[in-house]
Amino acid sequence: MVPTEMRAGSASDAVDGVVPRQVIEPASASELGIALASASRDRLATIIRGGGTKIDWGRPPVTVDLVISTARLDNTIVHRHGDLTATVHAGITLSRLNQELTRYGQWLPIDSAFDEATIGGIVASNDAGPLRHRYGTPRDLLIGVNLAMADGRLVKAGGHVVKNVAGYDLGRLISGSFGTLAVIVDATFKLLPIPQASATLVASYTDAERLAHDAALIAASQVEPLAFDVRVSAVDARPTGSTTHDSCQLLLRLASSPSAVDAQIESVRRLALPDSQVMAGEAESSVWKEQARLPWADVGAVVRVAWPPAKLAEVITLIRELQQMAGGRVSMVGRVGAGAGLLRIEGDDLTQSAVVRRLRSSVFVGNVTVLRGSRDLKRLVDVWGEPTASMKVLQSLKRSLDPAGILNAGRGPI
Amino acid sequence: MDERLVDEFRRICGLDAVLHEPLQLMTYECDALPHLREKPALVVLPGSAADVQKVVRVCAREGVPFVARGHGTGLSGGALPVPGGVVISLSRLNRVLDIDIPNKRVTVEPGVTNLEITRRVAPFGYYYAPDPSSQQVCSIGGNVAENSGGAHCLKYGFTVHHVLAVEAVLPDGEIVEIGSPLADAPGPDLLALIIGSEGTLAVVTKAVVRIMRRPESVQTLLAAFDSIREAGAAVSDIIGAGIVPAAVEMMDRLAIRAAEAAVHPNFPPADTILIVELDGPSAEVRELFATVEDTCTRAGATTIEIAQDDEQRARIWKGRKAAFAAMGRVSPNYYVQDGVVPRTRLPEVLARIRQLDERSGLRIGNVFHAGDGNLHPLICYDERIPGQSALAEEVAREILTYCIEAGGSITGEHGVGADKRDYMPRMFSQDDLDVMQQMRDAIDPRRLCNPGKVLPTPRLCGEVPGPYREHPVEKAGLAERF
Repeated sequence: MVPTEMRAGSASDAVDGVVPRQVIEPASASELGIALASASRDRLATIIRGGGTKIDWGRPPVTVDLVISTARLDNTIVHRHGDLTATVHAGITLSRLNQELTRYGQWLPIDSAFDEATIGGIVASNDAGPLRHRYGTPRDLLIGVNLAMADGRLVKAGGHVVKNVAGYDLGRLISGSFGTLAVIVDATFKLLPIPQASATLVASYTDAERLAHDAALIAASQVEPLAFDVRVSAVDARPTGSTTHDSCQLLLRLASSPSAVDAQIESVRRLALPDSQVMAGEAESSVWKEQARLPWADVGAVVRVAWPPAKLAEVITLIRELQQMAGGRVSMVGRVGAGAGLLRIEGDDLTQSAVVRRLRSSVFVGNVTVLRGSRDLKRLVDVWGEPTASMKVLQSLKRSLDPAGILNAGRGPI
Repeated sequence: MDERLVDEFRRICGLDAVLHEPLQLMTYECDALPHLREKPALVVLPGSAADVQKVVRVCAREGVPFVARGHGTGLSGGALPVPGGVVISLSRLNRVLDIDIPNKRVTVEPGVTNLEITRRVAPFGYYYAPDPSSQQVCSIGGNVAENSGGAHCLKYGFTVHHVLAVEAVLPDGEIVEIGSPLADAPGPDLLALIIGSEGTLAVVTKAVVRIMRRPESVQTLLAAFDSIREAGAAVSDIIGAGIVPAAVEMMDRLAIRAAEAAVHPNFPPADTILIVELDGPSAEVRELFATVEDTCTRAGATTIEIAQDDEQRARIWKGRKAAFAAMGRVSPNYYVQDGVVPRTRLPEVLARIRQLDERSGLRIGNVFHAGDGNLHPLICYDERIPGQSALAEEVAREILTYCIEAGGSITGEHGVGADKRDYMPRMFSQDDLDVMQQMRDAIDPRRLCNPGKVLPTPRLCGEVPGPYREHPVEKAGLAERF
């Protein structure tokens, strides 16, 4: 194979508005290793790109010397269906993987808002959607990785058995690292059987207390949803606009055998949500697709927040307050069980930054992270927020694994 | 140890909380892997996280190695003391600090036992999911160190899936919060590195764990088979039908006999028994349980017993969970191995183990988590017969070879500890291990925190990998391997 050449970066390679000097698309793990070793030697500010769907997340770069794309690390899917595991090259998209796995009635139950999102990017960002209610975030399904280190060494951690405690869990460590510690060559996951049937209950509310009350009843019950989401719509704050009509919703997805789904719908309706609408088939799929995409579907900053799950009413009240600040244009989709959500905030940078600051000053909301925002917003507020107490440990790991400090330099969480 | 230091530890922990009489130290010489023993210089029993921090600070200042210890139930020598070092026993840090039912979390000190969490939240209808067989006595601190699993981890995952945050004392004595009780803390998952690091990166002084709602329905069956092959086929068919049981356990004839002798669970006298448990919403469990029952019958089950109530279920689990200790009823000594193979390779690996049983002349009982391919062969021997201890170790090693050859792992839940560190190069390349060592050195540059565990003894500079050869420096008597 002819070694891959570097090419000059173009406008379509821009990272948060900055065009990289060079771009390389290694076709193998060893080429990736060579590219990294040379980047380390030359101390090139290096950014790893998968599908490019989240490439702008992070602090704005000052310069980008090199973008390493995993687009060509896309030719391997090993599906061990009898073992319910699969090993996947980093450059393969989640949607392509799941298409393959469906042949045996299995899936990697992660949902992404982006069709082009690759496995590498999903692991590196640990980004999760509504399915996390039952299956957790990507790191919870990860059982092994092959990595290229900044000095070019190719190493593995974990393996392809679902139960394994040999050695340090480097795979889970790099989950959420945003390309700051190593580059993912491939990842091995535990898979699950696709449930036979599913249906979703959608209930609308005008009153946050009422919604939170129902949510708490379901959370404390023995109903075991596949997904359990909340949606708070932006309001029309113009004097003539209606402000509170059905402005928030609960979405509860049940999945099992057809008769067990029916039985669970009955028990939920006895408990709460008596007037909810039941959705199934195509309509149900599109509701959830929309739910995953909603925060990204329109303009504005997107901010990730977390809260203790029992504080849902307070969170909605806080959003009402934020809506006052931002002329009504703040909306949220959230995960009831995990206590996590994405806020979309319209308006100018100053308004958006004021909203972020207000969130960070809240006593119960935490882990406030700006995912999408203009460069100006990112100058007004740090995207990652205050460093945690364990940052010192992470930084010393970073210095050890990436001594030249090339990987996502200055942009990532460490 | 220097009397000055002993006094300093006494001032920190209290007079009674520093042990250094040889008789007192004996208890701490080993964990539940008794063939590895070392005498520590000192054992301290701090009563608070602040005292743990002070102890670690003194150790860091003086360059004294230290080993954190929970309740000593570990099976890989993870709490094996270091000669001349300090053992930090966390047994006095045993308070449940907070129970938060609405948010489904509990905050505990590391010396709280696994089962205690479930006991405390059971009145509210909740439980703590990871359930190692030693759950009545093992500590949460130890569970965090080992990333403990248990029979139900097939469906519910391991300790790493159930711990949200810890407070830990780093090797330099700094105390930090790692992880977040809230979701989506930005950045690399440092908590997941600490969990399962076998006490080599930090001493955990507090943990926030997730509790779960009791499932609406639990159904358990015990199916008897004439061969492991048939039982294995039943497991494949259950999984192939898209069912994720809460647990799938298998025991062979010798293990059944031992359990029967010890705790009388009333198991049928079969070649192999399979325990399958389903839990979840009633309608789902009812429907799938019928499929499981049918699958077992078609795979050749000779009898199927369904637990009719919690008491019968508890009896079945008692028989299963007592299996290790019960081997003492059928053999003077036994060695518990822990290896993993991809589930589909189970029949082949079990056949090899049975051949090994015949070839070695040592009886090997098999108890295992069949759903996830985690084997626990129990190798019976008699240490009074010359050569048998060594033979047992050799047999245990051989079984790990089978696991590695089948694409598995040298440990599924007991950890590497001191016992298996030298097997690590068989699973990992030198580069893999070097990166792990680098990570360890980044957090514990002076290598004081539980040294000698997890990673193989570092090679001497200039040594070539491969089978053991005496290094020139050793030959010249200038250095020795430790």
